Amino acid sequence: MNIIELEDVWKIYRIGEVEIPALRGLSLKVKPGEFVAVMGPSGSGKSTAMNMIGCLDIPTKGRVLLEGQDIAALSEIELARIRGKKIGFVFQSHNLYPTLTTLENVQLPMRIHEFSEVQIWDRSEELLQLVGLSDRANHYPSQLSGGQSQRVAIARALSTYPLLLLADEPTGNLDTEAGGEVLDIFAQLNAQGVTVVMITHDEKIAERANKIVRMIDGALAS
Amino acid sequence: MRLLDIFLLSLSHVKKSRMRSWLTIIGVIIGVASVVAIISIGQGMQENMQERLGNFGADIITVIPGYFRATGVHSEMHTDRSVSTSSSINLTDKDYKVVKQVPGVMYVNGIVSGKADIVYDNEKTVVSVTGVDTSVWRLMDTTGIDEGRYLQTGDSNSIVVGYNLAYGTFLQPVTLNRPLTVGGKNFRVVGILKQSGGFGGGSDTAVYMPAEMARGVITEKVANNQFTSMVIKASDASLVESIKDDIDQKLMSSRQVNPRTKDFTVIASALIREQMSGVTQTLSLFLSAIAAVSLLVGAIGIANTMFMSVMERTKQIGLLKAMGAGEREIMKLFLIEAGMFGFVGGIIGVVFGSAISLLIPFLGVQALGFGGDMRATITAETILFALGFSVVIGILSGIIPARYAARMRPVDAIRYDQ
Ligand SMILES: Nc1ncnc2c1ncn2[C@@H]1O[C@H](COP(=O)(O)OP(=O)(O)OP(=O)(O)O)[C@@H](O)[C@H]1O
Ligand SMILES: [Mg+2]
Repeated sequence: MNIIELEDVWKIYRIGEVEIPALRGLSLKVKPGEFVAVMGPSGSGKSTAMNMIGCLDIPTKGRVLLEGQDIAALSEIELARIRGKKIGFVFQSHNLYPTLTTLENVQLPMRIHEFSEVQIWDRSEELLQLVGLSDRANHYPSQLSGGQSQRVAIARALSTYPLLLLADEPTGNLDTEAGGEVLDIFAQLNAQGVTVVMITHDEKIAERANKIVRMIDGALAS
Repeated sequence: MRLLDIFLLSLSHVKKSRMRSWLTIIGVIIGVASVVAIISIGQGMQENMQERLGNFGADIITVIPGYFRATGVHSEMHTDRSVSTSSSINLTDKDYKVVKQVPGVMYVNGIVSGKADIVYDNEKTVVSVTGVDTSVWRLMDTTGIDEGRYLQTGDSNSIVVGYNLAYGTFLQPVTLNRPLTVGGKNFRVVGILKQSGGFGGGSDTAVYMPAEMARGVITEKVANNQFTSMVIKASDASLVESIKDDIDQKLMSSRQVNPRTKDFTVIASALIREQMSGVTQTLSLFLSAIAAVSLLVGAIGIANTMFMSVMERTKQIGLLKAMGAGEREIMKLFLIEAGMFGFVGGIIGVVFGSAISLLIPFLGVQALGFGGDMRATITAETILFALGFSVVIGILSGIIPARYAARMRPVDAIRYDQ
């Protein structure tokens, strides 16, 4: 079964009288274990597509199926719970909760989903180790570099054992080296079986993916 | 999300923006402290009044010359003296007899009061002299004797002094059996009254002597058959109003005056008590209104801070929602934070308010002409009320910002400031 499936998804933003069609009949499937790169020029609707894939927003028209289930049928709270549990997000910036330490940030999704205290501590330490930041456990986000922040964000996104790791230009604000490190982690995770969808501008980055989706004007480029 | 975790998350915010949190809390502290202080002082004032009025018999009626019209319940006496010839300014033997005949009247004390020079231990000052009917005074006085005895029938050069006169007026306290001179005549102190605070029918700085003697020592001229006032004790406190009206009627006909030319006033103490507590109640209400305004300012402070932090935190709200937090959890997050401001502000405010209240007696503030020192009564109810109230205020002022935050859509929240 597909993890996520968009079926002829339209998203039309309305600003006063003006209608902006950000997505025009986008259809795509993400299968377990894939590493998908979504590419396209600025304004082509990549972030809007990510909102759909991540179930952060509902389409104006069309269907979004998460593990075969139409998300339109879910209530606000059900959708929030399922999305939070099954999809791990890594945004371009401002990923971390500034009043919490690195460790607490990684624990936050597990606390939202009421994991047991033992699980919370074991998993958060394990994940910090995975991204190589155990020694920064008690640092606050403002004390981390951009690359470190993104690695913490990845650790956090993984904490609730999601089906899908969804990243919107996770290396957009990083220099080549830090970006490379972050990419390595994504690749390593994918190699271990984690499904990854990553939005990017960068052809070089996209090369690391095993499937590239190109978008133009809110739909797939043919 | 577990409540404890939401609480810890709220706490992390409060701790991170320490300066702003404290400024917000200070607003609440000021509001709560003034509420606590004002309620405590108001209660202290009420109790003070109650105590003082408590022994000011509800069964006492006073007749004074001149006509005063009491209007409304707020005890402002609109003076309207219509008669001022010296011959009719005092009450007479005849009035005394008339009053004594009124059914329900138990005792009548014909009083002759005025001012006189007093000399004690080579110190000289002016004192209020109250000449009383020695046969009834001790039966009617409610102040109580501190030392010695009341005046009794047959006393002539004996004198009873008020508490403050005994202990506060002269360098040497006035003690029993000490001689002193009033209006040039020698007296011996036979009793010292308890402190009354100006109620209980006596003054703490007056001297009491037989009425006949008083006529001879005071500077005012009061003829042998005249009194400056009459104090009447009714047989039953519940009949005071009707007895008072009865006295009023009988005196009007015997003095041949009508309501327009009336030249005396009959006062029931119960009425004064009502008016007095009316004054304190109005006063505490007024002060409470001021306190409420400062609480409101505190509440607006909380609401303002909460709105600011909701705005600043749109990104975090988006994150929380993306991670699976629902509206309720976001709502709780902000309400707990607002409640914390209220609670912490409430606790510190209660401490400050209580401290202010406790300092009041030391400041020696005179209670608005009620004679006694001002004091404050802090009750557990006041403290609990203030604490509960401040938490509620905090939460209430957090509701709108919290709801605003909770309703944010995750996409919008994440897009913000990107
Ligand atoms: N909330 C919104 N309200 C109105 N218009 C929006 C909104 N979000 C996106 N759009 C519009 O939809 C179109 C697609 O935007 P989107 O953010 O998906 O592009 P993108 O491919 O992610 O671009 P970039 O590479 O610059 O991030 C743009 O024209 C954008 O202006
Ligand atoms: Mg984008």
